[in-house]
Amino acid sequence: MGSWLDETLTWGNALLFFLWGVILLAIVLGFVTYAIFFERKVIGWMQFRIGPNRVGPWGLLQSVADIAKLLMKEDTIPRKADRALFILAPALAYVPAFAVLAVIPYTQKLYFADINVGLLYYVALSGISTIAIVLGGWSSNNKYALLGGMRSAAQMISYEVPLVISVVGVIMMSGSLNLRTIADQQGDWFWQWNFLPQIIGFVVFVIAAVSELNRTPFDLPEAESELVAGYHVEYSGFRFAFFMLTEYVYVYAIAALTTVLFLGGWHAPFPFLDWVPGIIWFLLKFSFIVFFLFWIRATLPRIRIDQLMGLGWKVLLPVAILNVFLTAVYLELFVK
Amino acid sequence: MFNVNFTGEFVAFFIFSVLIISGAVLMVSFTKVVHMVVSLAAVFIGIAGMFVLLQAEFLAFVQVLIYAGAVSILMIFGIMMTKHQDAEADRSRPLHETLTAIGALALFGILFYAIRQSEFPEPEQPLSQATDNTMEIGKLLFTNYVVPFELVSVLLTVAFIGAIVLAKKEAD
Repeated sequence: MGSWLDETLTWGNALLFFLWGVILLAIVLGFVTYAIFFERKVIGWMQFRIGPNRVGPWGLLQSVADIAKLLMKEDTIPRKADRALFILAPALAYVPAFAVLAVIPYTQKLYFADINVGLLYYVALSGISTIAIVLGGWSSNNKYALLGGMRSAAQMISYEVPLVISVVGVIMMSGSLNLRTIADQQGDWFWQWNFLPQIIGFVVFVIAAVSELNRTPFDLPEAESELVAGYHVEYSGFRFAFFMLTEYVYVYAIAALTTVLFLGGWHAPFPFLDWVPGIIWFLLKFSFIVFFLFWIRATLPRIRIDQLMGLGWKVLLPVAILNVFLTAVYLELFVK
Repeated sequence: MFNVNFTGEFVAFFIFSVLIISGAVLMVSFTKVVHMVVSLAAVFIGIAGMFVLLQAEFLAFVQVLIYAGAVSILMIFGIMMTKHQDAEADRSRPLHETLTAIGALALFGILFYAIRQSEFPEPEQPLSQATDNTMEIGKLLFTNYVVPFELVSVLLTVAFIGAIVLAKKEAD
């Protein structure tokens, strides 16, 4: 796919790019629909419940029905809300979430954009969603929404710092910010993938990533029992669906990013398993991380806001910086 | 003077220019502060797009990360504490406005003249477009510009400690 990007832009090529964009969008929407279904099923199974099982065979159409319901609902805008920003916020949240998917390489040949600074692109764009969440909370003109928006901004900014610093070790080892190069440079055996040499960075990354996703145990922005629903209290119908969609698209993005950065991307765990296509390995690792996110949601309780900030700034940040330091010392002493 | 060919780059340049200019104009003309910050963020994103067109990807995404992300959120965070329906009262001051308009036009004239007059010499060793400009920036920062770089980091540390001291005083 990469060679198309170097050709001159003709109407045919533009149409091709557009079609690929639409295909990715369809895949992502399919993922979100069934991720929600499996999340409910998995959590139900872990809590000795059955989960959704009424709509369609084994409840498979439950999420489809939910989405249809959301799209047909009345779209309410509070009278005292800031109308323009209230309408802008869900779109502003979703656009960066979808845009970051452009840099993720699925296999050696299957990727959308090959940017030299792919990792930086991901981090930079995902920051814009925070603005949208704050704006959504503020423009609703509702105390709970405002509180949720404030919490969300504080949390996402605090955890973006350790998230970025934890991947610096990986960048130092591969000497590139290009996600394709990073995935490509990880070895053939599974212990040569970045998650073992960079185990400190990996742990910090996973914790910070869960927090960036606003998921349990860090789901304070939408803590139902305290804030009703957080920043999207006033949203209904398809605007609410957009915020929901953003969250699950980020689940997709983070799972894919973790796979690429730490779990060897499309590499097989053992060289003799190379005959299995790379995309299968990518999907297996990707699904495991998505399952892991559901698993911790079913297992862990929510933490308090002061514990959250303490964990981010006093534990994760120093540990991430220590990891950068250790990696630098190791590279200087043993590699050069 | 206006012999441009319509390439993809020109279209992108046009879109980003519109984004920057309209964002800047709206920033001045909006009355609610939060709306101003949002249009400012649009300007920042447009400038990042310009950097991409100039093949400075690193600079572009750092621009998005720092300005469009961090700075805008910081401003929104501060403004969110203010009153919701607060709009700036508009008083009409004709003399003041006329003088401002003349000043702005004069500034535009000077800038336009300067840009039209100046020549951009070719650099002695042109950077090839294929090089990794993140690596080039890093090399320059840690060789030729290491002293200014360290001074900036000291300055930031001083600002950081200052902020902590101020917050501590408030808390006690």
